[in-house]
Amino acid sequence: MRRPRSGLRSGHRSGPRPRPRSPVSLDARRRRAGYLFSLPGLVFLALVLAYPLLYNVWTSVHDVRLSELLGGSSPFVGLDNYRTAVDDPDFWHAVRLSLVFTAGSLLFQFTIGFALALLFARPFPFNGLLRSLLLVAWLLPPVVSGTLFRWMLDQDSGAYNALLRAVGPDTLAHDWLTDPGTALAGVILANVWVGVPFNMLLLLVGLHTIDPELHEAAALDGANAWQRFRWITVPLMRPVSVTVLLLGLVYTFKVFDLVFVMTGGGPVDATSVLSVHVYEVFFKFFRFGEGAAAGLLLLLVPLVAGVVYVRRLRGEGETA
Amino acid sequence: MRPPGIRGRRGAWPVTVVAALITAVFLLPVYWMVNTSLTRPDRILAETPDWFPAPATTQHYATALSDDALLRALLNSLVISCGVVALTLLLGVPFAYALARVPLRGSGTMVLALLIAQLPPSIVLAAPLFILERRAGLDDTYVGLIAADTTLTLPFAVIVLRPVLRAVPRELEEAALVDGCGPVGVLLRVVLPIMAPGLIAVAALSFLIAWGEFVFGLTLASEPDVQPVTVLLNAFVGTHGTAWGALMATATLISVPVVCVFAALQRFVVGGLAAGTVKG
Repeated sequence: MRRPRSGLRSGHRSGPRPRPRSPVSLDARRRRAGYLFSLPGLVFLALVLAYPLLYNVWTSVHDVRLSELLGGSSPFVGLDNYRTAVDDPDFWHAVRLSLVFTAGSLLFQFTIGFALALLFARPFPFNGLLRSLLLVAWLLPPVVSGTLFRWMLDQDSGAYNALLRAVGPDTLAHDWLTDPGTALAGVILANVWVGVPFNMLLLLVGLHTIDPELHEAAALDGANAWQRFRWITVPLMRPVSVTVLLLGLVYTFKVFDLVFVMTGGGPVDATSVLSVHVYEVFFKFFRFGEGAAAGLLLLLVPLVAGVVYVRRLRGEGETA
Repeated sequence: MRPPGIRGRRGAWPVTVVAALITAVFLLPVYWMVNTSLTRPDRILAETPDWFPAPATTQHYATALSDDALLRALLNSLVISCGVVALTLLLGVPFAYALARVPLRGSGTMVLALLIAQLPPSIVLAAPLFILERRAGLDDTYVGLIAADTTLTLPFAVIVLRPVLRAVPRELEEAALVDGCGPVGVLLRVVLPIMAPGLIAVAALSFLIAWGEFVFGLTLASEPDVQPVTVLLNAFVGTHGTAWGALMATATLISVPVVCVFAALQRFVVGGLAAGTVKG
């Protein structure tokens, strides 16, 4: 590795070269190629991602109706759409649901993911195979997972109710998704199921970066397993944990498909989290301006969490 | 690589048993999907469900596969997913190469922008795309759906590929350049072969994301001609809510490509996941 490098370098600087190209022109060619290479991707993202998002900002301050879609006029209305959006009690109901959904999902998927990561950090036969099997839950299309949990939580023949009936009195069986009191819990359960493997995977990467000698030394000093966990693993896992939770916040706050497929936001808006609310305003009632405004408000949370995440990445120093 | 725990492999088998049990409980829903899809219709709604489909029946699959709409939707999903993979690699590889290797002005800002590009919820993007694609005549087309899905895969692809490209020895490229190979030639003949594992990871994950995508399919495709199979499954849940056998057979059919791609390429997928950490 080292020898050819220095050989090339010195070859560049001095002595007759076989071809009449100076390092300067190599660099210039490289730079031009760089711009050319990044251009298609940049143009694409500008057209399909940045422009639509900016257009959404435009929509949010104009009165855009379905009839005006095909070339009508859409008068400027200032912040009216934002006012309409936040005056809607459904909006704040959705915000509350999103907060509960996100907090519940994060709490359970993180703690379960952490426990599984601790288990899978130990060397045992078939570790890799079992870990991969767990990941399948995360890889399934959300629409499939949603359908699956609808069936699992079904009152009459659902597997969960059958299990509950098997271990306890029949009254434990419950129509989880059609009862407004429990529908959100059912949706959270499904989302936790989807999120656990991903949490486990990232936390496992973090656990592997801990030097085992720390544990060995502590054990020799008489620290028991709990003490080693509490005073070595937990502090050293803090940065990774914050990252995992931030990512979880970003992804959970914008979950749409799983909830939409399981309940459609119902029963009686019991699960209409913010993303479902935005969908309804925009695509069901075609109140484009208001929908765009509500959508941009929905964007705020992932954006703030994302900026914090990116700053942390920078802070850790970009070594990769 | 030895994790926290100072006992070596001694006594590791009991841990395997525990882990296997947890995995089994965790994957119960998936088992239940397959189990239901193989259960005779008169047994599906039984008071005490059958834990094993005995005798198993394939009639739900026969019903599902005789449905032209399902076959069409599966084909649509395949076309869209392959399109997304192709477009992602086509745009992402040179992009990542430029960001990894060329001293560009503003490349730091671009990487930052790519990280932020993964934040918007699909539904926030779907709303303006709905209006814009309609104006451009791209609604209800494969192109419109592939373009929309690629916004999910391209930023993450560049972020995963950039460090992979940085790991390619610079000397190899320089040698090729000095030997008269153009920049495109260097990328195709020297760099691509070395970064094959990264490419496979990106291709596999892009396929999985596109195959499971739902929001854009729901909002940008109103015609069954182009609707992906995820949208069909959802519509199916709405109209045949209690035909669980056929529903689970359909869900299983949709899951098969996912599991196959993952099983075949899991080494790369997991690596790519760990490298990316920022998935859309």
